[in-house]
Amino acid sequence: MDREILRRLELLNQLKLTEAEKEDVLSFFAAREAEHKVLEAIDTANTERMVHVMPIDTVVREDVVVKMFEREDLQAQAPETDEGYWCVPKVME
Amino acid sequence: MKYETVIGLEVHVELATKSKIFCSCSAHSFGADPNDHVCPACCGMPGMLPVVNKRVVDFGMKAGMMLNCDINRVTTFDKKSYYYPDLPAAYQTTQWFAPVAVNGLVEIETSKGKKGIRIKQIHMEEDAGKLVHDIREDTTHVDFNRTSVPLIEIVSQPDLSSAEEVEAYLERLKSLLRYAKVAECEMAHGTMRCDVNLSVRPEGSDKLGVRAEMKNMNSIEAIKRAIDYEVARHIDAIENGTEELRQETRRWDDIKGKSYAMRTKETAGDYRYFPDPNVMPVVIDDEWFDSIKASLPEFPEVKKAKYMELGLSEYDATRLSESIAIAECFEDALSVCGNAKEAANWVISEVTRVLNAKGMSYEMLTLDGKVLGKLINLVLESKVSRANAKKILDAMFEDPELDPIKYAEENDLVMSNDTGLVDKVIAEVIAGDAKAVADFKGGKDKALMALFGKCMKQLKGNVDPATLRTMLIDAINKL
Ligand SMILES: [Zn+2]
Repeated sequence: MDREILRRLELLNQLKLTEAEKEDVLSFFAAREAEHKVLEAIDTANTERMVHVMPIDTVVREDVVVKMFEREDLQAQAPETDEGYWCVPKVME
Repeated sequence: MKYETVIGLEVHVELATKSKIFCSCSAHSFGADPNDHVCPACCGMPGMLPVVNKRVVDFGMKAGMMLNCDINRVTTFDKKSYYYPDLPAAYQTTQWFAPVAVNGLVEIETSKGKKGIRIKQIHMEEDAGKLVHDIREDTTHVDFNRTSVPLIEIVSQPDLSSAEEVEAYLERLKSLLRYAKVAECEMAHGTMRCDVNLSVRPEGSDKLGVRAEMKNMNSIEAIKRAIDYEVARHIDAIENGTEELRQETRRWDDIKGKSYAMRTKETAGDYRYFPDPNVMPVVIDDEWFDSIKASLPEFPEVKKAKYMELGLSEYDATRLSESIAIAECFEDALSVCGNAKEAANWVISEVTRVLNAKGMSYEMLTLDGKVLGKLINLVLESKVSRANAKKILDAMFEDPELDPIKYAEENDLVMSNDTGLVDKVIAEVIAGDAKAVADFKGGKDKALMALFGKCMKQLKGNVDPATLRTMLIDAINKL
C-alpha cells in the first residue's frame, strides 16, 4: 500500500480522506502487510483451497415471492424521497 | 491489406424466476410502482443476509448444459465493488472465482457454413436498479425494483468475426435458453442485453488489435450497425491514422449511427473482487445435477429431424420446432389424435392464426395440446365440420378448461348425420330461389355458391361441405 494506491481507492470509493486519516490507513495496512509476510512463509503446496470461511454450504430457498416490507417503512430514514423514489444528487449517465 | 474482425460477446439474460436472486421480493416489476418490490436485502441496508434462490442455480445449470458447458459442482459468489447510485450496497454480488458453468460450445450456422463458438463461462449475478434523470432538474430518482433480479452473464471467447455471425450466435442463444424455459430473451423487453468487444487486425496476424467495448446494446439490428461502423472506424484509423485507437468503452448512438468514447476501461483489479462472506458456497450433488440433466429438452434440430421422420415436410418441421411451446402443443395433440399431418396443420395454420390475431408470441401459448388433439379427432370422425372446429378453437383460447365435445353439443355445432334433414333444407332452398337454380342450369357456376351458402347457413355449418355440394347438385339435376 502506498500513496498512489490510496489515491486510487479514494477515487473509486468517492471518499476524501484527511491527512491524518491517510496516515492512519497507511500504517494500518503496513501492519497487515507484515502479518501477510508471516502467512506467506507457510508451505501450502498440499493444502486444498478454502472456498469459504464458514463450515456450511448450499443455503438456498425456494423461489417463492413474499412481500415483507412496506416502502414507507424502508424510506422512513431516507434524506429525500419523491413519488416513491429515493432521491440522490444528480448523476450523469 | 486485408483485415479480420475479432469479436467477443458478453450477454446478460434475465432469468424467468418469480422472486429475486437473494431475497423473496418479486422479480417482476413491469407496471409496478417505484420501489414497490424492495426489502432491506435488495436495497442494500446494513445487516441484511442474502439467501440464494434455488431456482436461479437450477436455471444457471440448465443454461450451462444447453450450451455444452462443464458445471462447477462447487460454485461460489463474490463481491464486485463499484460506486454508483443504482447499486445500493456499492457492490454487486456476482461470480468471479467459481462461476456455475465454464468451457462451453455453441454451434452456429451462417451463409459460410457451420462454426463453433466457445463459451468461456456463465455466471449468476444480480441486476442493478434503475435511475430516472428527467423527473426533476436537481436530483436523480432511484428505483430499486430491478436490483437483485437474477441474471446470467454468458461470456464468449473472441471467436466471432462478423455481424452475421453475431446475429446467428444471439439467435442461437435465444432459441436454446427459451427451449430450456429459463429466460424470455427478448432484447426489446430488456431481458437480453449485450456488450460487444471488438478489435481489428491484419488477416493472419496472431496479435490482437486495440479493443473497443460497446455496452448495453439492446437490438440485434443496432448491434449489426454498430459492428459495421466500428470495423470501418478501426480500419480507417490503422490505414490512414485518422485517430489513435485506445482500449475504451464506447456508447453506440443508433439514431446518429455513430459511437462515442465513454471512459477508459477499468481493469479487473479496480472492481476488487473478493469472496462474499454472506453467501455460502453452493455444492451441487449428484442428485441435483442429474435431476437438472434429466429435465433438459431435446434440441430444436433433434425435434425437427423427428418430425420429418413422421412424414412432415422440412418447412412444417422447421415451423413446429422453432418454439418449444409450439413443439409441445404439436406433440401433445399428436399423442391424442395420432395423425401427424393433421396435428401439424392445425398447429401451424390455426393455432398461430389465433396467436397472431391476439398479438401473442409463440412462447405465450397456454393451449393444452391434448385438448387440441380431441378437437382434431372430432373433425377426423366427421362429428364437427372444419369451419365449426375453428370456432371451437377460438373458444378454447378464451377458456382453457373448455371441453370441445361438450362445447360442440351445447352450441349446436355437431355435424348432422341426418341426411333427411339435409334433403329437406336443400328442397326448401331450391324451391325458394328459382332464379339461382335456372342460372346454374344455364351454366353459371356462381349461382351454385349462393344456394350452397343458404343451405350451409340453415344447417348451421353442421354438414360436410363436400357432401352438401354433391347432394345439392344431385337435387338440382333431378328437377
Ligand atoms: Zn428484496
